Parts: sequence; structure tokens; C-alpha cells
Amino acid sequence: MAGPLVGLHVVEIGNRGEVAGKLLADAGAELIRVEPPSGARSRGTGPFVNDQRDPNASLHYAYLNTNKRGVTLDVEQSEGADLWRRLVAGADIVLDSAGPGVLDALSIGYDSFDDDALIWCAITPFGLTGPRRDWAVTDLVSVALGGPPMSTGYDDHDVPPIRSDGEHSLAMGGEYATIGVITAVLHRTATGRGQLVDVSIHEAVSGTTEGAFPNWEYNQGHVQRQTARHASPVISPPWQHMATDGDYSMVHGGGTPRSKEIYDRLVGWLEENDAAEDLADPKWAEVVFTDPRSAADARAHIVDVVGSMMETMTADEAYRGGQAIHMPFAHVRRPEQNLDDPHWADRDFWVEGEVSGYEGAVRYPRAPYRFTKSQVEFRRRAPLLGEHNTEVYGGELGLDAAELTRLAKAGAI
Amino acid sequence: MRWSVVVSETAGDQKPLPLDGVRICDFSWIVAGPQATRIFADLGAEVVKVENESHLDSIRLALRDPQAGSYNQSGFHNNFHRNKLGITANLYHPEGREVVEKLIATSDIVVENFSAGAFARMGFSYERLVELNPKIIYLSLSGFGHVGRDSSYVTWGPTAAGVSGATMMSGMPDDEPAGWGYSYLDHTAGFYGAIALLMALHHRNQTGEGQHIDMSQVETGMVLGGVPMLDYQVNNREYTRVGNHSRWPAIAPHAIYRCAGDDRWIAIVAETEEQWRELCAGLGVADLANDARFATNEARLAEQEALDAAIIERTREFDPHELMYTLQARGVPAGVCQTMEDRMEVDPQLADRGFYPTAPHGELGEHRFEGLPITFSEARWRIDRGAPLLGEDGHRVLTEMLGYSDEDFARLLAEAAL
Repeated sequence: MAGPLVGLHVVEIGNRGEVAGKLLADAGAELIRVEPPSGARSRGTGPFVNDQRDPNASLHYAYLNTNKRGVTLDVEQSEGADLWRRLVAGADIVLDSAGPGVLDALSIGYDSFDDDALIWCAITPFGLTGPRRDWAVTDLVSVALGGPPMSTGYDDHDVPPIRSDGEHSLAMGGEYATIGVITAVLHRTATGRGQLVDVSIHEAVSGTTEGAFPNWEYNQGHVQRQTARHASPVISPPWQHMATDGDYSMVHGGGTPRSKEIYDRLVGWLEENDAAEDLADPKWAEVVFTDPRSAADARAHIVDVVGSMMETMTADEAYRGGQAIHMPFAHVRRPEQNLDDPHWADRDFWVEGEVSGYEGAVRYPRAPYRFTKSQVEFRRRAPLLGEHNTEVYGGELGLDAAELTRLAKAGAI
Repeated sequence: MRWSVVVSETAGDQKPLPLDGVRICDFSWIVAGPQATRIFADLGAEVVKVENESHLDSIRLALRDPQAGSYNQSGFHNNFHRNKLGITANLYHPEGREVVEKLIATSDIVVENFSAGAFARMGFSYERLVELNPKIIYLSLSGFGHVGRDSSYVTWGPTAAGVSGATMMSGMPDDEPAGWGYSYLDHTAGFYGAIALLMALHHRNQTGEGQHIDMSQVETGMVLGGVPMLDYQVNNREYTRVGNHSRWPAIAPHAIYRCAGDDRWIAIVAETEEQWRELCAGLGVADLANDARFATNEARLAEQEALDAAIIERTREFDPHELMYTLQARGVPAGVCQTMEDRMEVDPQLADRGFYPTAPHGELGEHRFEGLPITFSEARWRIDRGAPLLGEDGHRVLTEMLGYSDEDFARLLAEAAL
């Protein structure tokens, strides 16, 4: 089965659009990643295969550039700019994260193309307008300004607010860019017209902090960060417990069940582990039916008892034991621990592929969605630096070998 | 000061809504599903949320005034269901079920985020949906998906993050995981749900066929941890936390530093030697740039603890916003750890972009909403109104969309079919 976006042609330029590019390319679009001759920034970002720093050995690049082809191009040279124009002429969609105004200054931005059907998505830190448009950011600065760290961290507020690892500002910006691009594709199908799609990473992050917004807008309340649980003006009991194997388990909400039926099963499980203490006493079960504000002490007692049992078993036992009685427990896994869980193989979640510079096959997460009439496939690993120069410039744009050599010597490609 | 921008105007020459004409039968609840359909509604889709008082969306009870005896006074609910139409239908009543079936038959998309199997037990398997509407696009968004040995497992946002790896990838290396201070994967699953639905609409435009999209919330978190998964397979390296430091790329300084004030913080990074020198100058300790311990990025990485201590020594003297402006003027990546108040009442960028438009709600009145971070040149998004009161649009939906008469509607109400 082909991916749902088969037939769409995309060119990607810049360092902040990799997530959107990956989502489009994985879904079947033909995507050409345009990099400077020195390579995209993420080629210098580890981890590297065997820890050998090399532009073709970055696992960071390998993951974010699956299913893309890659060419090198110096768009600041006039011959490079000409090639850029020809690449764009063959595309339905441009993903431009070169920075606000950067391509415009070279006369190769959106306004320089006279193509009513072209879809051009700018992915920038703050959007294409506004007083902070040109501020300097990294992922850390973007998430700080957007709000997640003030909701994330520890009960101890001497510890700083936390940025979660993984360049999530680029994930959020890339997800919204994908939404904007496919919306524009649907709009073009209906009207024949393309357009400029301006995605602000700052807005994407700012709109992704859940309870902080209504707490302020409706109650003028500030949420307080709490270890591994929801930030709130109200301090909640702990959810996370260290298991016997050194991993952590998580008990959503602390451990008070949502129905009497599940409460009884919970007590049964606690009793099997000689850990029920006095929870079989019917007075505690009543807490299920009462307002949390009027039963805070009772809830705290249940949380204590359940939490103590969590510390007597492995994180996997806690996870599966909780799920067996239909409670949302978790094993707080390292990402790679999921590779061994057969549930994901049942779902065909892994897709086997290569990594440049590494001999064996590896498993990639296929996609965050499982289509039934189209499929996200691993068609090619991330490109080597300039791997498709000949194929694209020679084969598709028709440059001959002598011309390619000359452009390479001039540093244009 | 309150910032507000009227996004929706009545002028006849305004840009089109790009998803105008798309109809969603929306059974989603809590946050993840509603996040997906909120995006569709903002872009102009007709999203009809189907509810029933006997099986209430518990978000209707979130953060409301405890004294309020109404299901319609949650600001949390208002923000996630703006623009949507609300009807009630009693699935235990044959004519209530018929209302839902007519809605499905005239919709492009059905969305639900119940636990796996629940929607089929309510009588709406994918096969049944196809009987009602052969081209239907059906998004099921459950914790572990509908296929697989653990499909009966249940999640909330934080436990999905826990299993996926997202919780583990957050926090100090020598402390327990800090996780995410909210249901990040409810947002993320909603974003990917919207993406999948848009892709499926494109696929249907090209081929004429609808389909079932089986999503797992945990999988939406796992795709965010792909790099450590490759690192483990290729280099046999287990993931370990880095706090606010940056292991890849390896740069220092890269952290969140205390400022003057109560729980005020600033994020600062120096990616280049020039930024390092400018940072020192901006902090009023230009000499620090000449300190041999911190002379190069490699040296700073090796002495990161001492480096952070030296920086905090200065940042704690500054107001966070003043320091941010000072450092940005010097080209140093620096940003205040903004509270919600900062973003809504102080941040001039979000105000300039009109990110918090206002709209009315039947009981809560005029309020601000989080906007959509996408600005189109030939189309627009809108926030015309707040979330529907329970059943607010029943009459309109039944009589204008589904062909019922006023008398039919009154009778269905009286017979508790709605």
C-alpha cells in the first residue's frame, strides 16, 4: 500500500522543518531536502554511529530525515539560487525554515515565485511578523517562552523548571506545520490555489500547555509544578514510585479507583500481596463516591497504601497488575524499553530499515497513526550529504556531467 | 491589560475557512480527541459533538466553580470545544440511536477516543459505520490501539507518557523523572489525530475511499523518542537524563537560571564563542569570558557545574524580562520561563499576532481562547463562539442538518430520546 500523500512533491530547506518534512515524506510524499554544502545542522548533532562524529553518521539526522532525498546547494550563489528556483518549480509544497526573510533577501522567497498553485510553509521561531520575529532562540529558549517548563519539574522549587529532552518545540511546530500544509493541499484541491502558510513555533508551544490556560483565564491562578504529575494550584499526592528493579511505576491520580467495582478489585490485588492494610473496611470504599475536596484524607490514605505496594514489585508487575484491574498504571520506561514489548510488534509498529554507517538493520517507529487503506512505509534511509545531487540535478533537471562538476567546484552544490 | 482580537467578522469579503464543508460526528471526550477536532473546528469544519447526560464528558466538570450546579461552566471545556456544535442523544432509545446514525450517514469523519472496543460495544463498529456511510473516515484514538495483545489497557495522558518514554526523558539525571506537568500526549495525540484525518481526507479525494485509522496514544509518544531508540540499537546506549543541559548538540552554557523575584527563571544558551562573550558582558561580568576554565565550549562542558554557578551568581540579581531584553539585544538566545500570565498579559509577540482572540459562551460570557499557530494567506481560522452548552445545538442540528421537523424534535426531547 502506498502512503496517503503519494504523488505530492516537496522541497525542504532550513533546520527547523525536519519533523514536518519527515511526516510528509513518511506518508508518501516525494521530498528533496536541500542542505548547504557543509550539511544541515542536525548532521552535527549526535548521537553518532559508534560515536564517530561524521556528517553521515548522525542518528539524530537519520531519524528525522527518513524517506527524504538529499541535495546540497548554496543558495547564496546566483547559480545556486537558479537551481533552487528550478527545484521549487517542480514542487507542490515548499517547507522553508531558513528563517524569516532569509530567502526573500536573496530574491528566492515566496514572493519571487509567480505560481498560484504553490504551497509555501514558513516554519519560524515566532512567525513572519511581530516584534520578536528576529530574536535568537534554541529549543530551550523556545520552550521556556512557550510555557512548558513553568509547568514541569519537581515539588522542590529550588530545582529549576525543566525542559524535557528531545527538541519538543520543533516537534510541536512541525506537527502544526504538517496540519497547515495538508489543509492547504485540501484547499488547493477545492480551489486550485496555493498559499503562504505561516507557522509560529512560539504559538505552537504556547498553545500546548493544557491546564495552565484555563487556570489563568478563568481563575487568575498560577499552576505549580509537581514531580511527574500535573501542575496545578492544588498540590496532589505522589504518582510515581521506585520499583524493586530500580525503574519507576506510575499510578495515575495517585491510586483512587473511579468505581466501586474497581475498588474491590484493587483491594483484592492488595490482599494477594498482603498489602491491603485496612482498605477492606467499607468506610474507605465510600471515598470513590465522594467529592475529592471532602475526602482528601481518605484519598491520601489509599494513595499511601497503594504506593507502598508499588515499591514491593517490579515496575512491569505494577504496570500490568494495575492494568489487569482496569486502572491506568504505567511502567515509566526508557524509550528503548518499548522495543521488547510484543504489543507493538502485534501492531506492526516497527519498520525495519538501515542507518548509514551501520551494518545491521534497525527498527524505526513507523508512524503515530495506523492507516488501514494506506500505509507509512520505510522506502529509504536518510540521505548521505549530497547523495542525490546527480540524480536530481542531472537526471531530473537535465544538467550534464561537465556542468555538475563545474558547479561542484564552484561550491554551488 | 487584556489583549483581544476579533478573528471572526461578518464582512462578506473575508477569506474562506479551508475545511468548510467537512462534517465530523464527534464522540471525543476528555482532551486528546477534542484537541484533534478543535483544530478542525477552528479551520471551519462542522464538528457535531454528541453527548448524553448519563455519560458526561468529565472535562465539563474540570476547573468549574464548585458551587455551580451546571455542566456548562468549565473554562477548561470551553477552550477545547469552541466552535463545535453540541447535541445530546440517548443511545438506549431507538430514535436517539437513529439520530446518531443519520448524523454518521451525513458526516465525512467519525472521531472517538474511548478505551479500545467501547465504541463497538455501543453498536458502532467500523463495519457498522461503513454500512451507514461507505466513505466514512473513522479515527479511533485509544491508549494502546485497537489491535495488539494489550489493546484493553487504559491510559491517561501521564501514564501514556510514562510507557512511551516521554516521562523518562524529562528531569535531572540524579533525581527521579520529572515527566511533563500536564497531559502533553493528549495534545500530541490530538495533533497526530488531526494530521491523520487530513491525510485520510486527501486520500479520499484521490481514491474515493474512506478508512479506519487506528491510533494509540502511547505510539504518539514513542515517535518522539526515536533518536534514543536508534542510539540503543546501534550503540547499545541506554537513555539517561540530562536535566536542562544539552548533550546533543554538546554546548554550554545551556540551562535555566534563577532570577530575582518569586520562582522566576530564565533560559540561556551560548552556541558560539561570540554569544559567550556577549553573555558575560550582558551579565556585567565581561572578565568571566577570559576565565581559563571557560575559554572554550569543550572547557565549559567539562566545568558545567562551576559555569552554571558563576552564571546564577549574576542572573539572580536581574529581573528576568530585563535580562532577556539585554541579552537578546546582544544576540544571545535567552528567554524568560514564561508563566501563563506572562504569555497572556505581557508577551508582545503573542499580542501582536492576535493569538488570544475572544468569543462568547452561553453561560461563561466573553472569554479569551488559545488560537491556532497557523496563519494562512488565502484562508483563515476562526473562533466564532465558545463551547456548546449541553445539547445547545440539538434543534439546529436535527432540523437544519438531519431533516427533522420542529414537531419531531419536540417529541424526541419529550420521549428522552435526546
